[in-house]
Amino acid sequence: MISMTKRSKQASAWGAAVFLLMLVPIVTLRNDVLSFLLTFFLYITLAQSWNLIGGYAGQMNLGHGAFFGLGVIISRHLWLGVGLPIPLAIMGGALAALLMGLIIGIPAFRLKDIYFVMGTLVFAEILRIIVYTNLPRASVMPMNYLTHYSLVPRYYLSLVVAVIAIVVMYVISKAKVGLGLTAIREDEDAAGCLGVGLLRHKLFAFTVSTFFAGMAGGVFAYYSVAVTAGHMFEHLWTFDAVIIAFVGGVGTILGPVVGAVFFAFLKQFLSMYMPEGVHVAVFGVLFILVVLLLPGGLIELIRKIRGR
Amino acid sequence: MIQMFAQSFVNGVNLGALYGLAAVGLSLAFGVMKMMNVAHGEFIMLGSYIAYWLFMLFDIDPFLGIPIVAFVLFLIGAVLYKLLFSGMVTFHEELKLKNSLLVAFGLFLVLPEVAKLLWTGDERMLTPSYSGSSFGLFGVRFGYVPTIGLLVSLAVITLLQLFLNKTYFGKSARATADNWKAAKMMGVNDARTYIITFAIGAALAGIAGVLVGLSGALTPGMGIGWTIKALIVVVLAGMGSIGGAFIAGLILGVAEAVSAIFMGPYAITVGLILFLLILMFRPQGLFARG
Amino acid sequence: MLEVMDINVFHGDIQALWDVSMTLQDGEIVTLIGANGAGKSTIAETIAGFIIPASGSVLFDGVRIDDEQVHKVVDMGICLVPEDKGIFPSMNVLENLEMGAFTAKARKARDETIRTIYELFPILKIRSKQLAGTLSGGEQQMLAIGRGIMSKAKLLILDEPSLGLAPQITEEIFEVVYQIHKTGVSILLVEQNVHIALGLANRAYIIENGRVTKHGEARALLDDEHVMDAYLGTGM
Repeated sequence: MISMTKRSKQASAWGAAVFLLMLVPIVTLRNDVLSFLLTFFLYITLAQSWNLIGGYAGQMNLGHGAFFGLGVIISRHLWLGVGLPIPLAIMGGALAALLMGLIIGIPAFRLKDIYFVMGTLVFAEILRIIVYTNLPRASVMPMNYLTHYSLVPRYYLSLVVAVIAIVVMYVISKAKVGLGLTAIREDEDAAGCLGVGLLRHKLFAFTVSTFFAGMAGGVFAYYSVAVTAGHMFEHLWTFDAVIIAFVGGVGTILGPVVGAVFFAFLKQFLSMYMPEGVHVAVFGVLFILVVLLLPGGLIELIRKIRGR
Repeated sequence: MIQMFAQSFVNGVNLGALYGLAAVGLSLAFGVMKMMNVAHGEFIMLGSYIAYWLFMLFDIDPFLGIPIVAFVLFLIGAVLYKLLFSGMVTFHEELKLKNSLLVAFGLFLVLPEVAKLLWTGDERMLTPSYSGSSFGLFGVRFGYVPTIGLLVSLAVITLLQLFLNKTYFGKSARATADNWKAAKMMGVNDARTYIITFAIGAALAGIAGVLVGLSGALTPGMGIGWTIKALIVVVLAGMGSIGGAFIAGLILGVAEAVSAIFMGPYAITVGLILFLLILMFRPQGLFARG
Repeated sequence: MLEVMDINVFHGDIQALWDVSMTLQDGEIVTLIGANGAGKSTIAETIAGFIIPASGSVLFDGVRIDDEQVHKVVDMGICLVPEDKGIFPSMNVLENLEMGAFTAKARKARDETIRTIYELFPILKIRSKQLAGTLSGGEQQMLAIGRGIMSKAKLLILDEPSLGLAPQITEEIFEVVYQIHKTGVSILLVEQNVHIALGLANRAYIIENGRVTKHGEARALLDDEHVMDAYLGTGM
C-alpha cells in the first residue's frame, strides 16, 4: 500500500510537471523561451536514449550522435524532399536510425569493452567525414514553410517525444529486459552464465536507443531552419548526451532529466557571462568529479542530502 | 606516374612518422598502466601551442624548442596523472580501463577550452622561415620541415627504444607492463613507475605536437582528430608494442597518401576502415607481443 | 628473523586467515603445507607486503613490515617467488634475471650472481637470449627462482615451486633450493607436495581453512598419522 502511494505520488509529480510544461506556449509566445525549452526536451531525449545503452546496459557507445544525424537528414529529406507529413517523416528518420543500429550493432557487439568504445567512435567519425564531404551545403527551409513557421507545434512535438522517451525507458527498466540489461552492466560474464541472452539484450537496448536518437533528429530537422548535414554528425551530440547522463546520474530514469535541467540552465547562465564553450569545460570538470567522486551523479548527491 | 607514386610514398612516410610518434606515447601509457588516455591528442595540441608561443614570444625555432616542449608536457602530464589517475591504479583491469577512459574524456572536454582561453579560437600557424621550402631528389620534392620532422621522429623513437631496453627504469616499465605484481616483487616502485611513464607519454605527445604544429594549422579542437589517429595506430600495431606502433604509423601514413591518388578526400577513411577491419579480424594487432 | 603474530587477513569482505602465527629463524627452511585454497599463498603474500592484515603484525629482524609497501619489504631482504612464477614474458631470460637484481644492493653483485645462477641452472645460460614467455614450465620455474636469488634476499619465499612440474624437474629444482639454502639464505616454502616439502624443511606448519592446525619439526610431522591421513596422495 505504501509503495502504491509513493508510486502514484511520483506519477502525479511527473504528470503535473508535464501539464505545466504543456501550458507554457499558452502563457508566453516568446521565441527564446520556447526555443530554450524545446532544446532542453531534445537533450532529455538524447540523453535518455543514450542512457539505455550506456547507462543501463553499460556499453559505452560513442557513436550516438551519428544516429541522431541520420535521423535529421532522413527526416528532413522525407519531409522537404519527398513531401511526407512531419509525423511520418520523423518516424522514417527514427526507423532509419533503428535499422542502422541493427546493422552496426551486430558486428559491433562482438567487440569487447574498450574496443567497442573505440569502434563506435570510429564508426561515427567515418560517417561524419562521408556526410561532410558529400553534403556540404546547408538545407534551408523553403519560403512557404518559413512564412508559416511557428515554434508552438515544434515545442509540443519535442515535449511529446521527450515524454515518450522517458516513459519507454521507465517501462523497459521495470521489465524483465531491464533486469537483464542491469545484469549485463554489472557483470557480463556472470549474466551470460545465468542465461541472459547477451547479444539479444544488447541489440534490443541499442536499437531502442538509436530509434529515439533518430527521433530526436527528426524533431531537430523539423525545428531547425537551416541544417548543415555534416554538423549533425559532429561528436558533440554524442558527448552532450553522455555528459548529461553521467552528471545527472547514469543508469537511472531521473538522472538524464536532472542532468539535462542542470546542463541547459548552466549553459544558458554561462553564456551570459562567459565566452562560448566555457560550459563545455565546466561540464568536463563536473564529469571528472562525478567519475572520481560521485559515480551516481546528481541523483546520488540529492539522495545523500535527503538522507541526512 | 611513377613519380606521382614516389611523391605520394615520400609524403606518406613523412606523415606516417608523425602518426607513429603521436601513437607511441599512447602505446607506452596503455602498455604499462593499462589505462586508455583518450585525451592524448590534447597533449599533442598543447605541444603545438607551446611551440607556437616559444616561437612567437621568444623567437625560438620550433625544432630547437622541442626539449622545452617535452619538459613542459612532462610536468603537465605528471601533475594531471597525480590529480586524476593515481587513485585508479589499484582497481582491477576492467574498471581501471573504463574509469581512465571516462576521466580522460573529461580532460578532452576541458583542455580545448583552456586552449581557447589562452590562444583564442582563431587558427594559428607555426611558420619558421624555411617552412615552405623543399629540395628535389630524383624528381621528388622533399620539404625541409617534413624531412627534419622525419629525422626527429626516428631519433626520438630510437632514444625511446634505448631507454626502454638499456636503462633500469625502462626495463622496470616493461616489466610492469608484463606483470605488475611480479615487478613489485622485484622492488619496483609501481606508483613512481606509473607517474613517470605517463609523464613520458605526455612528453612524447608534446614532441609530436611540435611536428604537427609545423605541418598544419593550430586550432583548440585539433586534439580529437589526433587522438583517433593515435588510437588507430595503437590498435593496428597491437596494444603495448612501442616499436610496432611506429611502424604501424608509417604503414598508415603511406596507405593514406597512396590512396589519396585514387580516393581523394576519402583517403582519410582508409585508416578508419583499416581500424575496423583489424578490430574485427585481428584485434590483437599486427605486432602483438608474445 | 621472521615473526608472524596473530594475523587476520581478509580478501575484500571474506576472511582468509584467522589468528595465524609462525616464526622463522635465521638459516632455517620452514614450510607451510596444506590443501589448495587453505590460505598458504595468502600468508606468503601478506609477509611480502601485498596484503595488509586487518589485525596482527609481521616482524622481520625486529622491524614491523606488515604495513610497509612491497618494494620497501623487498629492500629489507625478502623476496617472493610467486605461484604463477611471475616472469616477464616479453623480456628475455637475461633481462628477467637482471630485473631480479633491481635493488641497489643486488645490482652491485649482479654479474657475479648471474654467473652463479648459470652454474646452478645451465639451461638458463643456453636460453639466455630467448623470450621468457617461450620457456617450458620447468625452465620458467628455474628462471623464477634464479630471479629470487638475484635479489640477494635474506629470506626467500617460494610459493608452490613444484606446481605443474614433472617429478624429475621438481627434484632438480629442490636440489638447487637446498644449495641456495646452504649459502645462508633462509627459505619459507609454501607447498602442496607434502613429501618433498617435509623432506627439505627443518620445521613445518600445517594450514587448514585459514588456520594453523599443527606445527613442529618436519621429521616428526612426516611420521604423524594426522598428516598422513589428511594428505595421503596429495602432491604431484
